[in-house]
This record gives sequence, structure tokens and C-alpha cells, in this order.
Amino acid sequence: MELSVFDLSKHLGVAPNTIERWLRQGKLPVSPKGANYRFQTSELEKWASKHNINLKLSNKGIPEKERESVTPLSVAVKNGGVYSDIQANDVNGVLKACLEKISDISDDFKADLFDRLVEREKALSTGIGNGIAIPHPREQLSYLTSPMVSVCFLEHPVDYKALDNQPVSTLFFLLSPTLKMHLHLLSVLSFCLRDHQFTNFLKARPDSVALVEKIETLQKANSI
Amino acid sequence: MPTIRNWYKTIYHKLFHLDDRLLLIIAGSIAGICSGLAAVALRLSLESVLEWLHGFRHYGWAFIIPAIGALLSSLYLEKIAREGAGHGVPEVIYSVSRYGGLLRFRSSYSRLISSFLTIGSGGSAGPEAPVVMSGSAIGSSLAKFLGLNDRQRITLVGCGTAGAIASIFNAPIAGLVFSIEVILGEWKFVNIIPIAIAAVAGAQVSQAIIPEQVIFNHQPFLVGASDILPSLCLAVVTAMISVLFTKVLRQTGKIAKKSSFPLWVRAVVGGCTVGIIGIFMPVVLGEGYHFIQSMISGTFSMSVFFIFVAVFAKIFATAMTLGWGGSGGIFAPCLLIGSLTGIVFHKALFSLFPTIGCASEGAYALLGMTGLISGVMQAPLTGIFLIVEITGGYETILPLIVVSSISSTMSHYIEPASFYFKELIERGQFLRPGTDARILSDLNIRELIETEFIKVSENMVFRKFIEIIKTSGQNFYPVIEDGTGEYKGVIQISAIRKYALDPGMYDMIFLNQIMDTGMMTASLENDLQEVLDMMDINNMDSISVVENDRFIGMILKTRILDLYRRELIMQTSVH
Amino acid sequence: MNYKLLHIFRNTPFGRETFLQSLYFCKTINAFPVAYIPKSDKFLMYFPNDAVQVDLDHSYLKAPGTAKSHAEDLFNEMDIKPMFYEPKNFTASSLPDIPTNFDYLCCPRSVSDLSSKIGLGHIGPKVRRIIKHATFPILITSPVFKPWKSISVFFGGSKNALNALKLGVKIAMSSGFSLDIYTLLEKQDEAYYRDLIKHEGLTEPVSQLSKQWHFYKQSDFDTMLYDVPHNSLIVLGAYGHGIIKDFLLGSKMEKVQSTVTNNLLITGPYCSIPLQ
Repeated sequence: MELSVFDLSKHLGVAPNTIERWLRQGKLPVSPKGANYRFQTSELEKWASKHNINLKLSNKGIPEKERESVTPLSVAVKNGGVYSDIQANDVNGVLKACLEKISDISDDFKADLFDRLVEREKALSTGIGNGIAIPHPREQLSYLTSPMVSVCFLEHPVDYKALDNQPVSTLFFLLSPTLKMHLHLLSVLSFCLRDHQFTNFLKARPDSVALVEKIETLQKANSI
Repeated sequence: MPTIRNWYKTIYHKLFHLDDRLLLIIAGSIAGICSGLAAVALRLSLESVLEWLHGFRHYGWAFIIPAIGALLSSLYLEKIAREGAGHGVPEVIYSVSRYGGLLRFRSSYSRLISSFLTIGSGGSAGPEAPVVMSGSAIGSSLAKFLGLNDRQRITLVGCGTAGAIASIFNAPIAGLVFSIEVILGEWKFVNIIPIAIAAVAGAQVSQAIIPEQVIFNHQPFLVGASDILPSLCLAVVTAMISVLFTKVLRQTGKIAKKSSFPLWVRAVVGGCTVGIIGIFMPVVLGEGYHFIQSMISGTFSMSVFFIFVAVFAKIFATAMTLGWGGSGGIFAPCLLIGSLTGIVFHKALFSLFPTIGCASEGAYALLGMTGLISGVMQAPLTGIFLIVEITGGYETILPLIVVSSISSTMSHYIEPASFYFKELIERGQFLRPGTDARILSDLNIRELIETEFIKVSENMVFRKFIEIIKTSGQNFYPVIEDGTGEYKGVIQISAIRKYALDPGMYDMIFLNQIMDTGMMTASLENDLQEVLDMMDINNMDSISVVENDRFIGMILKTRILDLYRRELIMQTSVH
Repeated sequence: MNYKLLHIFRNTPFGRETFLQSLYFCKTINAFPVAYIPKSDKFLMYFPNDAVQVDLDHSYLKAPGTAKSHAEDLFNEMDIKPMFYEPKNFTASSLPDIPTNFDYLCCPRSVSDLSSKIGLGHIGPKVRRIIKHATFPILITSPVFKPWKSISVFFGGSKNALNALKLGVKIAMSSGFSLDIYTLLEKQDEAYYRDLIKHEGLTEPVSQLSKQWHFYKQSDFDTMLYDVPHNSLIVLGAYGHGIIKDFLLGSKMEKVQSTVTNNLLITGPYCSIPLQ
């Protein structure tokens, strides 16, 4: 294989004019033939191994960072579903009751998930105030295929040890297979919850379709 | 047919391009022969003209002969060859370290002619620096002709130098050592072989043309353990003399430069001074090999006091010759001053301790020479091998090493820069391979600069800027003026953190209110050294490069480290 | 872009004409002129494979007191920010090194011989050596300041001529002036030359910028030279093809430079002209 000055500059991580200077100074194993230099890969490899130089010939430079497609919040909510009229009296009870209702998680994992959620609540309450909590586990859930946000409305507000000590009536269960997705959803969710219109809208306990629609308009308006 | 051609191509390629050792050896020996011829030509012509002028020495007007020589020499250099004055060795070192040994073709003969005029007329200077200059220019021109790259060209410059020194002293090892120790400054496997061959070629040329075997013949010296202590003392003396010599040379040159006389007046003044001294002390005239010979063989007959004065007279005469417009080197004057010093020391020693059982006067003349060469050039190896070779004797090697090492160490202690390097160090151009200064001078701002930057307008609202920050990973944002695109300042994310975390500010401020306009900027013309100094002084991690009011890019310290390391690997790796 | 032209300033009326020419050139193509006022009568240029010492004639050192203000006046007259080059490195104390990373260099036809001797037909030996080794194009000015209003490229089909064509295209783009191409048909026919530029991907910019491509029979060289407008910048490559490369700048080039009075922009064999 033959390489041009530009290719080699990418492999060595230097500017093309550095390669040209090295050629002029005789630091590279090639001799000038006309204005265009070509490098033989085999010669370069021999030379690089002799001089202990890291030559990244195999992979073409630095691979482009894959842009992971992020799931929009509206889709996650659609995945998770909306459940209302859940009855419970304390934090653990709330979590247990909600988990039982959420149909998209297979029953095998529910016990494990419950433990994790309780553990997270013990560390620091996820009640962010204003009657809203976002329970989520600290570890990512490898058994999920796609991220989901399940919205649960309680029948009666429950003391959730929230930050502002107000009882909680709305819970967003944020469950995600990867950390990146988790952070993205969390950021979008908290953005939405800062919107007064949205929180007022939540008080009316909308159903899944209405909620997804509302979130979609919010997403569009703020391009998130 | 095509297969044969392919074979030929492969062989040619393998022999001369991939592995250039054979090419360098062949080209190096040619360079050695050519520079050897140049050196022999200068030596022979000097000998004959000195002989011819000897007949006029007894006339009263003889003192103007050196003046005429210096005048012609300086006019030739300035008006015909149009080269800068000076002995040329710093120029060779400068070119080797900065421009891959590119020298002008005219240098290969100009110094020969000018130094012939200076020394031939009786000016106190040596023919060695001129032949070094011409030898290295021959090597460089040969490399240019063959279209070689910088590394190969530098080797050929070294070959030319080695051939010249080897030929003029008939001393191949001294040629090799001088070339590597003084000119190239690096002991590299690929350099040593071609240079050694060139040195031998140069010496062979000189032997073939001038059949005598060693320059300074002498009876074997009897040097014993009792000479070690005296030679220690001698080393101290020669170190002092070397420092004095270097200082006088430089000072005289400075005075001459400050004086408003035209060039030719300076040359005449310098030449006449030397001529007048020469009337009373003919020992100062010319390169003085003849006197060195008589000193080594112990036939030199002058009173102690006279010799003592002659040391300083020679120093002064050399300074007047070289500083005031003559052309030549300091090698031969060093040898002469050294041997005079050695003899004075020996005579003083005997008058103080008449019973001391140490070697003859000639041996001390040798030791003195080594002391001076090592002290002035601070090149101990060159001093040792040169003296061993030009006298053809190894019996004095132990005291030689003692004197050489002590003299060079001491003079290094007093005056850290040697005569050849002083000028370059003062200009910041002493760039030995593998040193920090060399790497910084090789790396160019254009190679370091990162140009992929999102630029922002000075009239942008802060909120919009926050949106840009969210999506790009950049830490610096150059701010430009709207219509003209002129660089206005830079915004560093770390500096605006407190506004960025305060949403209340988002719609309140424009970028020109928070940008940093006082930040130093570099330009493409700056050297990396200057840029780094700028960054150090102001404690910056990055610096914008601005040219003609346009933002060009940014230099980051992390990037510098990265490239610095690569450059260091490339420079120091064995080829 | 940030192109720079180096001009060695000569403080004489003749030098003023060449300097005005440089300034006009820069203003037209949006480059930045940098003036070097020599302090000594020689300087060195280190090209990749040669060191060229340029010996200037005495007129360059005349009236050093007024040189800077004269140059500044001319800069201001053309409404360009004055920029001066101060040499940083010296090979010997009276021998400054002039860097070779400029994008253009302006030369009168001769720098080392007395300018009074120069008429047409004599490019001095130093200027020749600079052209031979330079990695950038050289602007050789007409004896008097002569604003040019169009660009003429002499295209002979060699690699260097392609460089010249690229340069012509670049200058036409940045100046907005029209481009004419002149080709002398020697062995090949028109189609060959059109193929050549197609191969280099130059067809599109050439057809956009170029008014006309003129072809001439080999015997009509003199006619061709006369047909080139007098107020046009001629862009051409030195050493087209030929054997006696070292002594002459190529036979055509010699003829051109000794016949026309136009400003010449010459690309040497080591020039590389990126189109972007």
C-alpha cells in the first residue's frame, strides 16, 4: 500500500508540513522523486518498529466518534406508560406498588429492581420537590432493551422525604440500559419539570397519549 | 529486459536510498579528497610565498607587507567574494544546526584566497579555519549536486571538514575528532564511518603531494611519572592564557567594529601593527609552524624574558590580524602560543628547581600546545589527538591527557562558551542536535497551530453563546468583529464560568463585554521559543495566533508536548 | 487567506515604481505586502536545497534615513497597513537570513547589477537563481508602475505550466479580473491541451473565469506576444521543457521576458500551487 504525505500525517498525528520538513531533513525513509512523495507501508512499518515509533497504520486515524442515537423523552414515556391511582403509605410501599403496576418489566427482575430503587432512595431521596419524584437505580439495567420512563400518579400524596418536605404524588420511574441515555433523559425531564405550564398540566393527571403529546411539543419548542 | 531494469532499480534504490551508507561513504571520500586538495594547495602556496617574502623582511618598510596583505584580503572578501568577515567556523556550525548544512559554493574558495593573502603577507593567523570553511562548503556543494537531504548533507559537511583538517596537519584522527566534536556535535554511528574515511582520504592526498610524514619531527621524549605534577601546573597556566587569548580576540574585534574607520583603513592599521611587532619579534608573523618545529626539537634560542613577552605579543598580533580585517583561523596561533608558554614554563621550572628530573623543553612545548588548543576550543579530544598525530609520538599521551582535561575544564569554568561557540551562544543560535533549543527551532509555529475553531461575533448575545458551548467541545472561542472579521479577543470557558452558571445573565450581556482582550497573541513570524517564553511569563496554557488582525489559530501547551516528544524521538533515534 | 508578499525596498525613484507595483498586486489579490529595507548589501535565502546569497547593488543602501518614511508614504498612498520585515537570524554579522516562507516575492529584473544597465531582455543572475529554487512565485515588475486589468496565462502543457495556470486561476478568482490563456501549438493539437486541464480538474474554473483560450501556430509566437494586452499580468512557468535548463529559464521564457514590458508572475520548478 502506498501513502501520501497527508495520509502519513494523519497516522503520525502531526501536520503535513511537519512530514515535509522531516523528509527534507532526512528523518523519514524515503527519498524525493519529483514533487510528490509516496510512502510504502511495508518500509514505514520496518522503520517504525526499528525506531520504536507508534505508527497507527492499521486503523485509519482516529475513528469518528459514533453518535449514539438518543431516545427522546416522549418515546421513553411511551415505552414506560402512565399509571394512576396507586395506593401506598410510605416510600417502600410506593415503590413496591408502582413496580407491580409497571407491566413492561418482566416479573423476574422486579425484586432486584426494587432493591436497587430502595437503595437509591436511602442514599438520597429522589423527591425533587413540588410533589414530584424521579426514582431510578444507580446502576444501569442491562436487561432493558430500550430506555423507559413510567409515570405513576398516587391516589394520596405520600411523605417521600422530598427535598422541600412536601408529600409526593407524581413519580417518574427512569429506567435506562446505558448511562448516557439515563443522563440525557434526566436532563430533558428536569428541563420539562422546570416549566410551570407542564407541572400544572401534570396536576390534571393526563393519560399516556396526552402526556406524550405535551412532551413532544415541549421538545420541539426547545429542540431537545 | 524489464526484469533487469527492475533489478537495477531495486539495487540502486536499496544501495543509495533506503540505506545510504554506501552513498555517503563514496561521496564522503570524494569530499575528503577535494577538501584535502584545497588544504594542500593553501599550505604549499603559503610556504612558497613566505619563502619569497622572506627576502624582503630585512628592509625597513617591511612592516607594511602585512598591511598590504590584510588590505587585499579584506577588500577581496568584501567586494569580490562579498562574504562576511570572520573565520567562518561559527558560520559552518550555524548552518549545520539550522539549515541542514547548506553553505554557499563561493565559501569553498573565498576563504582560501583571503587567508592566503593575510597569512602569506605575514599576518598572524592560521590556515585551518579557512580550510575547514572551504572543506565544509565543498561537502555541502557536493550534497547539493547529488540532491541529498539534510541529514546526508550534514554528514558530507563533516566529511569535508575532516578531510581538510586531516590534510593540513596530516592527522586523520584529529580530523575525524574535530569534525564530530566541534562541527557536528553528535557522535552518531552513521556519521562516523564516512567521516573517518574522508579524513583518511584527506590525509592520503596530503601525503601523496607532500611526502614528509609528520609535521613536527622530534627526538623521542623521555616522559616519566615526575612530569605529572609539573604538567598539572602547566595546565593551569595554559587555561589562563587560553581565557586571556579568547578575551583579547573578542575585545579587539569589538573595538574594531565600533570604530568608524572604513574597512580598508582598519585592515591597514591592523596589518601595520602586526608588521611593526614583527620587526622586533619575527616569531609572531605568519602561521609560525617553522618556529614550533624548532621549539619542539629544542633548538629554539631566545631568552626566557623574550619568550615570555612573545606569548603576549603573539596574542596581540593575532587579535590585531583577525579583529581588524584579516582573515584566518586561530588554530596555528594557538599552537604557537601554547608551545611558547610550554617553554617559558619549562625554563621557569628549571630555574626554580634546577635538580628536578623532568622531560625536555620540546615535550613541554607539546604539552603547552595541547593545553591551549583544549582551552581555547574546549575540545579536549581534538587537542589530544592533534598533538599526538602531528608529533608522531604516543610517549607523552598521559601528561597530554592530564593537561588537556584540566585546561579545558578550567577555561570552561571561567568562560563557559568556547571561542567557536561564543558568538552563536550569544545570538541564541547554538543548536546542538537533541537539545531543547534545537527541537524548538525545528518545530515551526505553522506545524503546531490548531485552526479548527468556531469563531463567534462580538455582538452575539450570551444566551446564544451558551447554546454553542453546549454542543462544541472547544475551550476557547475567538471573538471577531462583525463586518471586517478582525480579531477582537478570546473567550476562555474557565474564565466565564460564573456567568455561564447564572441564567439571569444570559440575556443581559454581549460577548464583547466578557471577552478577554488583553491576552497576549503570537504571530506566525514568532519562533516557538518566543511563544513559549510569552506563555511562561503570562502563565498561559494556550495562546492565540493572530496575523494581520485575523485569527489564525491557537497553540495549546498539550499539543506542544505531543509534538515535542515526537520531534525528540525523530532527532535522537539512531538512523 | 493570509498571503504575504516580500518586497525588498529600494529607496530610489526606480524602486518606488517597483514598490507601487507590489502594492498594486497585493491590493488586487488581497495579499499583504511586507517591505524589507536592507541594512547591508547582501542577504541569504535558504531554500530547501540551496542557499542563495543575494548581493544587492548600491542603490539599495542609498539614503537609509528616508527609506522607512518613503516606504510608509507609499503604503499610505495605497491605503495598506505598513509592514516591515526585520531579519532575526544572521549567518554572519553582515549577512542576514531572509526566510523563504513568503507566498510571493517581488523582484525587479535585476538586483545585483546596476539598474541603469537593465533594459528589457536582461534578468539578472541572482533573480534567475531565486526563480530556480523558490517555492513561491516571483513577481517581476515592469520598469514603471503599470496597473494591470487582466490576466494572461502562457500555457505550454508542462507541469510547470499547469502550476502557472493554477496560479492564474487563483489570481483571477481573488482579483475578479478576466483570464486569457495563450497556447502555442507545437506538437499537439488543441484537444490535447483541453484534455490536459480536464485531467487536472481545471476545466470548470477555467471555463468560468476565462474569456478566451487563444491558440497560435508555432511560427506565430511573435504575433502571440503582440496580441497579449499591454495592461495584463502575464503568468508563466520558467523551464517549460528543454535541455539547457541551468543556464536559461527555458527558451520560451527567455523570449517572453526579453520582448514584453508587462508584469510577469513566474513560477519556478519547485513551486507548488494549491488551488484552494
